[in-house]
Order: sequence, then structure tokens, then C-alpha cells
Amino acid sequence: MEVLSLKVNGDTRCLAAAPQATLLEVLREELGLTGCKQGCDKGDCGACTVLLDGQPVLACLTLAALVQGREITTIEGLAPAHRRRCAESPCASKQDKLHPVQDAFDEAGALQCGFCQSGMILSATALLQRDDDPKRETIREALSGNLCRCTGYTQIIEAVERASDEHAGREHRPRAWEQPATEPAGEGES
Amino acid sequence: MAARDQHGPQAPWRGEFRVLTKPQRKVDGAAKATGEALFTDDLALPGMLYARTLRSPHAHARIRSIDTQAARALDGVHGVITGADLPQSYGVIPWTQDETALATDRVRFVGDEVAAVAAVDERTAEAACALIEVDFEVLPARLTPEEALANPEPAIHHNERRPGNISKHVKLEFGDVDGAAAQAAQVVEGDFSFHGTTHAAIEPHCALARPDADGRLTLWSATQITHYLHRALALVLGLAPEKIRVIQPCLGGAFGGKSDPFSLEFCAAKLALITGRPVKLLWTREEVFYAHRGRHPMQMHYRTSSDGEGHLTGVDARLLIDGGAYSSFGLVTTYYSGQLLTGPYDFPSYRFDATRVFTNKPPCGPKRGHGSVQPRFAFEVQLDELAERLQLDPIELRRRNLLGENTTTVNGQRITSNGFARCLDEVERASGWRERRGRLPRGHGLGVAGSMYISGTNYPVYPNDMPQGGVQLKLDRSGLVTLFTGANDIGQGSSTVLAGIVAEELGVEPEAVRVVAADTDLCPVDLGAYSSRVTFMVGNAAIDGARKLRRQVLAALAQEWEVAEEEILLAGGRAGLFNGDRDLPMREAFVLAETRFETLGATGSYNTPTLGGDYRGGTIGASPAYSFTAHVVEVRVDCETGVIRCEKVWIAHDCGRALNPVLVAGQMEGSAYMGIAEALFEHHTINSRGLHAGPSLLDYPLATSVDTPELAALIVESIDPEGPYGAKEAGEGPLHPSLPALANAVHDALGLRLRELPFTPGRVLRALRSQAEAGS
Amino acid sequence: MRPFEMWEPSEVAQAVALLDSAHLAPGSRAPRLLAGGQDLLGELKDDLARPAALINLKGIAGLDEIEEVASGGQSPHALRIGSLVTLARIADNATLQERYPLLCAAAVSVGSPQIRSQATLGGNLCQRPRCIYYRNAAALCLKKGGRECFAEGGVNRHNAILGGGPSWIVHPSDLAPALVALDASVELTSPTGTRELSLADFFTLPADGDVLRENRLGPQEMITSLTLPAGGGMTGAMTEKATGGRSGDVRQVYMKFRERESFDFALVSVSMRVRVVDDRIRAARLVLGGVAPIPWRCLGAERLLADKPLEPQSFAAAAQVALAAAEPLEQNAYKVPLATTLIMRAGAALTAETR
Repeated sequence: MEVLSLKVNGDTRCLAAAPQATLLEVLREELGLTGCKQGCDKGDCGACTVLLDGQPVLACLTLAALVQGREITTIEGLAPAHRRRCAESPCASKQDKLHPVQDAFDEAGALQCGFCQSGMILSATALLQRDDDPKRETIREALSGNLCRCTGYTQIIEAVERASDEHAGREHRPRAWEQPATEPAGEGES
Repeated sequence: MAARDQHGPQAPWRGEFRVLTKPQRKVDGAAKATGEALFTDDLALPGMLYARTLRSPHAHARIRSIDTQAARALDGVHGVITGADLPQSYGVIPWTQDETALATDRVRFVGDEVAAVAAVDERTAEAACALIEVDFEVLPARLTPEEALANPEPAIHHNERRPGNISKHVKLEFGDVDGAAAQAAQVVEGDFSFHGTTHAAIEPHCALARPDADGRLTLWSATQITHYLHRALALVLGLAPEKIRVIQPCLGGAFGGKSDPFSLEFCAAKLALITGRPVKLLWTREEVFYAHRGRHPMQMHYRTSSDGEGHLTGVDARLLIDGGAYSSFGLVTTYYSGQLLTGPYDFPSYRFDATRVFTNKPPCGPKRGHGSVQPRFAFEVQLDELAERLQLDPIELRRRNLLGENTTTVNGQRITSNGFARCLDEVERASGWRERRGRLPRGHGLGVAGSMYISGTNYPVYPNDMPQGGVQLKLDRSGLVTLFTGANDIGQGSSTVLAGIVAEELGVEPEAVRVVAADTDLCPVDLGAYSSRVTFMVGNAAIDGARKLRRQVLAALAQEWEVAEEEILLAGGRAGLFNGDRDLPMREAFVLAETRFETLGATGSYNTPTLGGDYRGGTIGASPAYSFTAHVVEVRVDCETGVIRCEKVWIAHDCGRALNPVLVAGQMEGSAYMGIAEALFEHHTINSRGLHAGPSLLDYPLATSVDTPELAALIVESIDPEGPYGAKEAGEGPLHPSLPALANAVHDALGLRLRELPFTPGRVLRALRSQAEAGS
Repeated sequence: MRPFEMWEPSEVAQAVALLDSAHLAPGSRAPRLLAGGQDLLGELKDDLARPAALINLKGIAGLDEIEEVASGGQSPHALRIGSLVTLARIADNATLQERYPLLCAAAVSVGSPQIRSQATLGGNLCQRPRCIYYRNAAALCLKKGGRECFAEGGVNRHNAILGGGPSWIVHPSDLAPALVALDASVELTSPTGTRELSLADFFTLPADGDVLRENRLGPQEMITSLTLPAGGGMTGAMTEKATGGRSGDVRQVYMKFRERESFDFALVSVSMRVRVVDDRIRAARLVLGGVAPIPWRCLGAERLLADKPLEPQSFAAAAQVALAAAEPLEQNAYKVPLATTLIMRAGAALTAETR
């Protein structure tokens, strides 16, 4: 066992762990951050996605000992950080209990069983950090490392678009099920 | 009898719905979005031990002996159990209890459970498992139904009533099928096959058992059938049911894959009882593939007859079902494979002859659209063939055979509401069908298919006359309403739907309703989340219970205000009069009610009316209401690589009434996604040694966000006379048409009939080659 | 995962010195180098490797740089990519996108976004096979010291059609064929110094080398960097051939076919690069991935393409030559027409490209 010092959600946490301990094990078992899920433990599902210096990585394929000194953000850290930012920012009036991306996921119905959602929301948050008005294809690409078995991804994609619209102060796009009668595409095609 | 009261489809208060039919956030949405929600594996208890399972390396073997001495001696090991510790057999269906928690004398597939160890950590438990010595006498393994039928000995299960490795055989005939075929203007006949798929919920199975100081046992488990699990635990552990408490924490997806009692639940419980400490058993992803209970592989032969105008005259089906090593729900699967085909089309004669066979593979069971997805695929492709023969538009052919409302199917099932015709209209319109179908360039096509599914079944898995669904409600001066229900919210949002119903009935804000669900100590019995039964049955029970409380609140207010009860409106968290004269926060209205009627509480229940055909098996597949679906699927096929790219699916689904359109759309989209993925991507192979080739989420390819088509949910409402406010199911029906509509779209694109699933690039290329050879 | 120690060298020399088995306690297993860990941790979890220690390379400065190196006055310079550069950085690097889009396309096709943000170039090249039998600890196959390649007569949809036997694995790296097509060389460092090897020569067939290994890495050697030749052009004799003093334009393309558009390894990939002068191919590189135990360079097809017009018939002929030696197993014959199609498409993409 070694003593590790990890910076998780802004707090420095010291704990003892074996060299083979994964970040997933340490987050869940030592730090009680169970929002980070184990779906496969092999890097095949994305449920354990966390942000490492803002980039989505798989906690199950990351050794805890090797991420000392890096900024680790889990799903539990999003809303508090958002609240802190709101409090610091003179223009922000909103003091939501949810981070805007979490709020959009909840509103859009993107959460069914919720098991993949922590990872999904973190991937979406990282995307919106680098592109606050992503195209649908970009959203699909950014979420392509997070398997969801419930939604067919549609409401998840809509949630990301919703968060983007909200951020830009735009009117929300209608959701697929709200679309007015679809205009049939033209006869045949070119 | 209150349980069978009809509540009517109208809104409970004059005018519009105030909560229901509008998008509502999920009751657990914020908790899930923040990671606060606790799933079974998120729970940890003081002194908790960790368990692991030892599994069979052989597909079929007799166990001569098991030596656990070395495992027991390992430092950190606290308990080791084998089949001898849990000899009582069980099974979710009372007539086919052929499973044991751990193998007693025989293993029947690679991965069958042999022993379990509880230790201070998982690694120690795993090391101890490796020290257990099992002396196996390897037996011949039967890996296909044909092989198992041809080699009855050594039998996979000894059963004198059903020898020859037959798990279940059902043959039912309605009308004169052969006569219909003989006189038909058109007969289409052919073979189809479905390959077998699994649920692959992202949360693996997990159970945590705690022996309580007072002699009781608490089990938290990722299950969708708390009640059946409760019964099975009592049976297998030999404990009185009142000594056992089963709780389902947040559940990370199930799709039917968590609707059997599983080995890990018994093992965690037994090890907890033996060690006196909490024991957690989490299955690895690999183990989840062994637990399986996925959709059965089926070989299907269909013969469909019609007259010269395309009116169906008969359907004749023969099905060979690969059951895997145990029965699970197989008895029901076998019935469902035939019983659920008799809509949305009307045909006067029908026969099905279905045989489920045991093989030495992970057991199959119920998966979203239980038993009926495979036959639906075959039949809807044949309808397309029939339309082609008759040079009819495939939608028009379907319209000519509509079953309609308030009718009875050929096998005696009562149909009430039926929005199928409108489902066809919707997908036809939205997809631009008339302008585009048959006119797109080669490789690009549209296909249609329809289906019907149950909203619960009138037959509980063990016969009894008690309610199928029940709730308890508590409200008090705090203003909070608490709903206690045995119903399992498995992500589909049943707790949200039930909270919405209670909020609508009592006029409180949805946030003022707390739902306590799936805890056998606290909640009245509900049978669980399967057969798409919860909204319909528990929804009705919730209305039943809420109306009792509503009457008390209204009576108290009427007395206080000296008005007639009809003048009072409870809405938006306030009590008042329709004319606006009075206005009171609901909390104060509740104070009045509690003052007048003392402690406030009510129960609500639901039971189905007597349904079903008057013949053996006639109640299986009988449902108080049926949902209807039509899909149009658009594909582009790459003729050089054989890749089928599904571009869009229009899903029109008759859900009766959409109580929460966000949830309904989510179920429709999720269903269609799963169906398309099963048709295009998902497959798993058991190799010649019985070994699962690739039990991982890499090798079992689930469609990712970049593989999934655009999904357009078109909600159709038929307002069912018996559903809660007219609602029916939305969680399973919308999966069915995906597969045949895709196959039919490929035909539109290329003139190819694909009858073997999945539609891999290799299969498509082979079919294209045969087509080219036939054409040259 | 079984327990292991973590060793933290700060210099390459230390790292390779630690690979010396003399450092090991008796009975323990050889240590392994750890870079991004995206493949290695999977192996450890599957119990396919039981190293006594992991040697963490991330503490070594200078291994994660992308830099230009002077190469005999040519401009632009050759480019050196450190072995610890992540795939995400390769995919996003502007210089690479400009000069070696083939490599960026290969990098972005690997795994998932999460995997790419940790996986490294060196690790990608040294990945172990994905064959389902290799990954199943219970199956003692040839690659794990057993006596049989179970894929040969078993489930072999994903296995080799070229260069197979006695093991029928395919090399899993998506970057390797792309880099071979770019004439990359690899720098290997051991306690005795460094050596430079053409990347094409780095990989070994099971029949040629040690069946337990996929490359020529010595017991105390590690990849320290890759070098992409200057000019983005064909190096060596081919470059100068009949170009009449005009360098012509170099076109390159990467195409990967897989079951899913994310996570999956290549069923077949094509890395193709041609130098074109006056609508004629002057030199070509054609390397297939997902079909053989090594990145499969199609030398015959390359020779055939040189001096052919830039038209479909040329690529059809090349595909035929490239796959002439294919020996499919029971379930993977589809890879032959698939590879043919991808070669044709790669050719068409290069033909369509105008500068």
C-alpha cells in the first residue's frame, strides 16, 4: 500500500491504495464517490468515465497512483463546482441544484435507468467545454465511448442540444416527439 | 369488487389534465443526474464480505465430488458453499423449477454455477474459488436444438413427462388452416431464423444480503421482480417469508434480464446467514453473459395464405426454440411465440406448433417483447412477400386486414382499443412513403411492419386470486403524499408515472408525492416489471387508492366550506372552488381531512377481468389491453461491403394515452434502437466446445451513438376504456416491427429477402451474389 | 488484478535497465512497461500477464513530444513523435493533419474518445492480439504457450486471411499499417543504446519469429519514438523514380471497416499513399490492417501500381495482386472481397483528390 494524494472535485484527498488499485476502485470504495459506475471494468462501456484535467477518461483503465496531481472531476463534482462559479460570477443569478448539463439531461428525459448517465453527462460536459454549439454529428461522436442501453441516444442528444441552446440563450429546438408532422422528403432523390 | 372497478379514461377533474399528459421530470431524475442515486453495488455495509462464484468449465458434466478444504483454509475466507448447501430447486414458473442456486450433481453449460465463496475482499474470494477442486465426469454436450432432439441421452434434464430434451411443446389450432391454404389464391411459405441476443443492461447483476440481529434477512438486489424473488428466497433458504425483506435499489436497466431469481441472490443470502455478516456478490460482465436469459434463438417456418385481394385466410407456423440449459420463463415463451401473433391483423385460421428444446448453453428467457419478436419478424416479412406477389402496397395490404376495435382474435383474445390504423397512417405520412417507397435509387429503401403487444397479462406466474397490483397511500398534515408500491422502477419511469397519477388525482404538485417502491417490508405486493404491466395495472391501483383519499379530502372541505363536493377543485397544490371563491394551500386541506377522518391512508388495487380463450393455454397472452405499433424504416445498403446503414426509423405507437410523453417517447425510441441493433449488430456465438465466444461488451457489439439511426417517435392515442386514463403499454411493443421493417426496407432497396438474422455484411453480400447469379 | 509493484524511472536508461530480469525476485514474472495502460490493464484484468512490476513511463520527460527534426536540409523536416504521445494528440495535431492526414485518420478511428485520450502511440504499436481465444484466460492457446491455435478451427470471423499460421491472430493496431504506409521508422532504446528500424521490419509473423510475440522488441528494449520521413514523400529509391525532377503530389488515405463505428477494431483497414505525377502513379504504398498478424504491406501491389494511370483498373489490379495469397479460414472469407472493395475505394478517394 502507498499513500496517494488525489485531487478530486477540487479537494485534495489522501488515502492508502495498492499499486494495482484503479481510479474506479478508489473513487467508489475509498472515497464513496459511487456516481462513477462499473459496467464492464474493461473499457468497453464508458460508465466509469471521469474527467482528468477536463478530458474524459475511463476510470477502470486508469491506475489511481498515476493520476496524482491531476484534476479529477466526477459526476458528484459538477453541480458544486457550478454553484461555486455561480456565486463568484457577478452576472450569474441562478443557483441551481444541478449543473446545466445535468439539468438538461433531466429535463429531456435522457435519464432512464441512469446507470450510464454519470459518464454520459461528463462526456457531454467536456464536449460543451470545447464546442458550445456542437452539431449533431459532433455530439454523436463525442458520446461514442458511452454505451446507453435504454434511450436509443435520441433524448441524450436532445439533452446536449438543450444545454447548448440554454447556454446560448436560444429557444429550445423541438424534441423528436414534439416535431410537427414531418415534411416528407422529396420524390426520389438527386 | 373494487379491484375490477373501471375508473374511466377521463381526467379526474373537470377540464384538462393538469399533471399527466404533459412532460414531467422523473422523480429520480435529479438524483440520477448528480450521481446521488444508489444502485445495488453502490451500497456498502459495515463488516461486509465479498463473494465470488466458481463456474463450470464444461458444457455438460456430472459432478463426482467437490473438495473445498483448501478454499476454506485460505486466510480471509469466511464461507464456502456448494450445491449441497442450497439443494432446493426453484424456477420463476412454478411448474418448471429446474434450477438450483449451485449445481447439485450436474452442470449444464459453461458458466453454470458450482460454488460460492465469501471473503474479506473479492480477490481473496476469487483466489479461494481457484482452490476448490471439482471432479467432473464430462458428458456429451448438445449445442443445437436439432442435436439435443436427436440425442435424448444423457438427458440435460430428467423429466418423465417430457423426455428427449424437450422443455415445452405447444400446438394449438384455430379454424381450418390446411383448408385455407388449399383454397388460397396466394400462399407464401418459407423459413426464417433468429440468432439469439442478450439484454446487456449496463448495470451488472448485484446482490447484497444482510443477516439482521433480530433473525431476519435483508436482501438488496438488482432485480425487476422483487415479489417473485421474495417467494423464491423463502423456498430455497427454508425461511418464513416474513423473515425476509427484499429491496430493489435503483436499477441500471433490465429489459427482462433481471426477471428470474438468480444464483447470486441465493448465494449472497446463504453466505450472509452462514457468516453472520453482510455479503455482497457482484457479477462481472462476463458472468452476466452466462446468466443471460436473453431472447431465444428460433428456427421458424411460416405458411401464410390469402385470397386474391390480399385478405389473410390462414397462418401456419412451426417453431423450434433453443432454450439453453434451464426453463426460466420458457413455458411462457413457447406459448407467446404463437399466442401473440394474432393481431393487429384479422385472419380466420391459425395454427402454431412450437417446441422449446434444452441445450447446453446459457439459459434463454424473457427479453423485451418476450417470445413474440422472432415470430413477428417472420410473419411481417411474409406479409411483405404477399404484398409483392399481389402487387399491393405493403401498407395497403395491412390495411385490408385490420382487426379493428372491440373484437376478438382468432385465438380468443379480447381486443378493446386499437389505434393500429392510425399508426399506419402516421408512419406513411411522416416517412413520405407514398412518394418515396419503391422509387428510391438502388440500395436505398423503405420498409414497413406492424405489431401488437400485451399491456400486462391476466395470468400471474403462480395462480392466485389476489390483486395483481396494489398500492398504499399515506397523506398527512405535512402536505406530503407517500405512495407505497411493490412495482419495480427499472428505469422505465414507473415511479414517475405513479407519482403523476397521484398528483393528478389529489391536486398536489408532483414534487409533493414521494414514491417508496419495491421494498417487500414496506410496500404492498406487486408482481414486478415484466409483460409491460406496471402502468396499466399499478396505474389503475393508484387511481383506486388516490380516489379514496380524494373523497375524504373533498368531504372535509365540503363540510368546512358548506359547499357541494362537485364544486371543489384540487389542483396545483391548492384547494379551491371551480368558481374561484375559495383558495387554500393543500397542506391546510389535508389538516381538515386529517381532523375529520383521523389518520389518513388508503389502499388501491387492480385485478384483470376474466380474459382469454376457453382452452388449455388460452389465458397465456390474454391481456386487458393491447398496444399497437407500426414502423417505417429507411435504409441505405452499401452493395460492395454489404453494410446496411439504418438511417431513420419512424415509430408510431398506440400507447392508449401518453401519461408522460417524454417517457413514452423514450420507451419508443429505446425499443426501436434495441430492435435495429439486434437486427444489424448483436450476435454471440457459442463455439463447438460450448464456450461463449466473447462474453464482453466489446465482442457483443451494442450500437453506439454513431451507429444509431435518427428515431422519430409518433405517439398515437387510442384512449383505452380500461387503462389508467386510457393508457396502455409503451415499453415493449415498439421493439417488434424494427426487425421486419428493416428487412422489408432492404427488399425495397435491393429486391433481396433476408430471412436470417442478424443481417451481417457477409450475409448481405452472399445474398447479393445469389441475386446476381440468379439474374444472369 | 494481481498485485504488482510500480517502478517509476525518470529516464529512459533507467526504464530499460529495470527491464533486466536480474532485478526480479526469484519466481516473479517479467516487468512490463506501462504507458497509457489502455491495453495492458485489460490484459492484467484478464490475467493474461502477471508481471511483478509495472515500469511507469509517464514520469520520463521528453517522450511525449511531437517535433521536427532536421534531415539533411530537406524542407519540411522529418517529424518525430514520442512514444508516449496520446492518440488524441496525434488526431488533433495541426502539423500531422496537414502533412500526414492518413495517420490522423487512423488515430481517430481507435477505440473510443476516452481511450484515445490515454492510449499512446507506443502502446498502440505494442498491443497484444484481440483474438477471443487469446483474451480468454481459460483457453491455453498457442499465443499463451499452449499447443493449439483454437481460432484455426473455431470461431475465426475476425482472424487472419494473410500470413497466418501457426497462429491466426491479426495485429490489432490501427496506427501500425498507417505508419508503415508512411515509411515510418521506429527508434528502439536498450541499455546498449538506440537503434532505428523501419517500422515494417519491427513486426514479425508467427511463423518467422517467436509465436508468443508480435514484434522484434528485444528483452530490454522499448520504443522511444517514431520518425516520419521528411517531405511527406516516398523515401528511398521510389521517390526519385522517373519524376523528372518534379516531385509530383503525394496523396494518402486511410479507410477502416468495422462492425460498429466506435470501439471496434478493424475487420479490414487500408492505408494507401501514392505519389502522382501527371495523373500517373509514380510510387505507391499499400498496407492492409486487420487481415494478418502484422501490418500487411502489399509489395506486389505497390510495384504494380508504380507507373500506372490513376484510374479504377489500376487499383482493381492492385487489389487482385494484394489478395492473391489470401487463405481464409472457415468464417472470414468475407475479408477478401471487403479488402478488395476498400482498396478500390481508397484508390477512388485518391483519384478524386485534387490539389
